[in-house]
Amino acid sequence: MDQTTLVLALLPILIIQLALMIFALVDLIKNPNPNGPKWMWGILIVVVNIIGPILYFVIGRRNY
Amino acid sequence: MKQFNILMQKEWRENTRNYKIYWIPAIFILLGITEPVVNYFLPQILEASGGLPEGAVFEMPAPTPEQILTAVMEQFQTIGMAVLILAYMGTVAGERKSGTATLLYVRPLSFPFYFLSKWVMASAISLLSVWFGFLGGYYYTLIFFDKVEWSKLLQMVGTYSIWVLLIVSIVVAASAAMPNGGLAAAVTFAVYLVLQLGDGLFGTNWSISPVKLPQYAAAWLSGSPDSASLGGAIGVAALLIFVLFVFGSWASRKNKAKTKV
Repeated sequence: MDQTTLVLALLPILIIQLALMIFALVDLIKNPNPNGPKWMWGILIVVVNIIGPILYFVIGRRNY
Repeated sequence: MKQFNILMQKEWRENTRNYKIYWIPAIFILLGITEPVVNYFLPQILEASGGLPEGAVFEMPAPTPEQILTAVMEQFQTIGMAVLILAYMGTVAGERKSGTATLLYVRPLSFPFYFLSKWVMASAISLLSVWFGFLGGYYYTLIFFDKVEWSKLLQMVGTYSIWVLLIVSIVVAASAAMPNGGLAAAVTFAVYLVLQLGDGLFGTNWSISPVKLPQYAAAWLSGSPDSASLGGAIGVAALLIFVLFVFGSWASRKNKAKTKV
């Protein structure tokens, strides 16, 4: 397998991670009343891969 | 029946608005894809992370595609199930807290239909996510490793789906029975651990224990599980799901009074 096919094959992982992150960030910005400080959620979503957006969607949006 | 349709529409709207139909499948696909990719790059990853003495040589046996798919399933067993439990811990309990429940419970509501609408929506999203996850994992196993027959994959995913349905039933029923989502998740995790532990410690001969369903699912990849045990396990799981359904409808009616107005 050469370099370009490899990169193409790995692209979906990157896209899904970025999409989750952007989705969570946009929602956080629009959210008038998140559960906890906004800046904390912002850092969590950007820094902690995959788990950050999940935690925001479950806990930060009060979806429980 | 009309009531059920309307409740389903409400569930659908809720699950699109809190993005559950997007992020749950995304996470399962990610889990499914990551496993074969990490296995493919394992030698490079070990080399780059260091810690090996200079000139260390080690023969890495190439994992078989069956092993990779089993590993994908193990990922779903740990992280995947945790995500499902967290996502649906508040499906009934959260409604009582947020006030949606007051709008519902003042009407002549059929609680079995109410519970069923919750259960159907949660199951549909969970199953679709698991299927997409396996599909992603299968595709990457195909391009990085080797072919696994379609029929084997289908049998494995079909068996595993029953286990997913059982877990979803436990979460939704716990959510109906507990005063808040956090407790529902705690109860579900406790039940999950106790089931696994009990089966692991004493269950060597309990061939029809539904906790063995994931094992039977994995067994499809290298032959086929004992059909009598598999049938028994599916039967017990179906019975448990039915009991949880009755219990959940009863609990959501009983906890009506706990609604915050």
